[in-house]
Amino acid sequence: MSFHRFLLRRAIMVLPLLIGVVFITFMLVRIGGLDPVGKLAGPTATQAEFDSIRENLGLDQPLWQQFAIYLGNVAQGDLGESWLSNRPVLTDIRERAIISLELLFWGVGIGALVGIPIGLRAAFRPNGRFDQVTRVLSLLGFSIPTYWLGLVMIFVFFYLLGWAPPAIGRMSLLVMTPEPITGSYLIDGLLTANWDAAWSAASHLVLPVICLAIVSAAPIIKQTRAIAIEVLASDTVRYAHACGLPEKTVRKLVLRNSAVPVLTFVGTEVTGLVGTMSLIEYVFAWGGLGQYGLNAIISGDFTAVQGYVLALALFSVVVFLVIDIVVHLIEPRSELS
Amino acid sequence: MSDATRTEIATDTQQGWSTRARNRFIGVFRLSPTAAIGLLIILFFAVLALFSSWIMPHDPVAAYTDRVLQPPSAEHWFGTDGNGMDVFSRVIYGAKFGFGIAIPAVLLSLVIGVPVGLIAGYRGGLLDEVLMRFFDGLRVFPSIILALAVVAATGQSLLNVILVLGFLDSPVFARVVRAEVLALRSSNFVESAVAAGNPTWRILFVHLLPNAIQGAMAQTAVRAAWAVRISATLAFLGVGIQAPTPEWGAMIRQGAEFMISGQWWVALYPGLALIFLVFGLNLLGDGFRDLMDPRHRSGS
Repeated sequence: MSFHRFLLRRAIMVLPLLIGVVFITFMLVRIGGLDPVGKLAGPTATQAEFDSIRENLGLDQPLWQQFAIYLGNVAQGDLGESWLSNRPVLTDIRERAIISLELLFWGVGIGALVGIPIGLRAAFRPNGRFDQVTRVLSLLGFSIPTYWLGLVMIFVFFYLLGWAPPAIGRMSLLVMTPEPITGSYLIDGLLTANWDAAWSAASHLVLPVICLAIVSAAPIIKQTRAIAIEVLASDTVRYAHACGLPEKTVRKLVLRNSAVPVLTFVGTEVTGLVGTMSLIEYVFAWGGLGQYGLNAIISGDFTAVQGYVLALALFSVVVFLVIDIVVHLIEPRSELS
Repeated sequence: MSDATRTEIATDTQQGWSTRARNRFIGVFRLSPTAAIGLLIILFFAVLALFSSWIMPHDPVAAYTDRVLQPPSAEHWFGTDGNGMDVFSRVIYGAKFGFGIAIPAVLLSLVIGVPVGLIAGYRGGLLDEVLMRFFDGLRVFPSIILALAVVAATGQSLLNVILVLGFLDSPVFARVVRAEVLALRSSNFVESAVAAGNPTWRILFVHLLPNAIQGAMAQTAVRAAWAVRISATLAFLGVGIQAPTPEWGAMIRQGAEFMISGQWWVALYPGLALIFLVFGLNLLGDGFRDLMDPRHRSGS
């Protein structure tokens, strides 16, 4: 299948999923007990004020009509306005997405760089000392609440040791923000040779990234181990052993054959970690998309919640697309479908 | 009968019981040390939850306004929080919420998920297709975001948290049972049950259920760990259970602001308790997998 046809097919397949996701969120926030009108109007509002706010927001129309209007607007790239920030949701999301992506990239990247070798090493000697220890450690990693880990790290590295900057935002307020090019303070600072900004941004990144890396490494270790053990038991590897190939060559073969499933797993983990990342952003006052989404849900900002959920769904669609393409590049035998 | 002989008899029967329990425990320990350690941790918290009123030195919601934010001392082992409440007593009481949420939530997931998996797997066709697509769609959302949205939208009470977690987690059991049923559907014992004229419900619940439930039961501990973790996370975000209820997540929320001013004890101890209970459940779950699947069994 040609690449263009593959992309087109994927886009057509994804459309019903996206509409379904929009529909579920749309109905969920409206049918439930969330009431933005009460929050916007304040405690002293009269019934007339309530009604006029409701009318302004379009909440007085029947549900199906609201949904049709919303879907039409989304198709034209208009996600509506946030009722709390009074800004277009699309602008809010676009600004914040890059901030979250930066954190996610470093966190999962380091988690994978640490987790994959550990998982492989555990698999080469199953039930050895190393395997037992990493198994317990990764189970512990599964059990630590992210937000608590973040708080403890803030206490140790900011309050006790004074190594880390205060956990408010992505950069010190005393440093000039760099010219916005990509939206990431670190990269922008490096690009514009604003070393102070780059340094400040990097030092603010350290704690949340370590937090995310620890939490993401645990499942990566477990899954890599399971995959590598399966590959080790496969006919290919047993045949290689039987042929008397040196251990080093066999291990290369194992690596090669584990690459695709491990990569696929890391990809699915990226999408699953979005929830964890929101909590880290919340604790470190990061101001990214995750924190935006949490606040929108808690305060009942309908349009923002819908936009956020749509962004999440799109993100996971793109991640799976990228995985499929990368897998195809590594393993040209696999069909793009 | 003298007092001495009476105590002797009492200790004798007690020893008989405890030796038996110990032997059985050693048996489990040999099969799966992880499961045994996990079980011990869970039992420890179960004792805390059941006998909290005897163990707690203070009332968990009594505010000693003259002793706000005191560091750990002989009187307050884990210190006091911003309201002057005893953190130690609150941590012990919090175990009640862990079990009180996880057990009914997992039971609810089983009650919903298992029949759905049975029917979907046995019937197949459009119903199965639609259900599986719906479950796939749900997986687009990270579980904490979904749970948060549903609890925020449908009402914030303890009962609602349990219901939402139970519903949201039922697809896990449905999937496992469905996979088992698919494998068993065309086996001889099912076909002979059909040939003997058993009604469908009887085939599903009498013939298939006992054979298909194993995988789902092995998941229960891990899903309980999930329920404990997510409910605490919701409380940490201020959704569902609210402070000053002595729930671990809500306590961490209360302690968060004090972390940057050095009063670490308010958030540290409930977090440790939470980690250990979830860790125990995960260990047990890991051990279950060992016991179910001999290929993964450690030490073999």
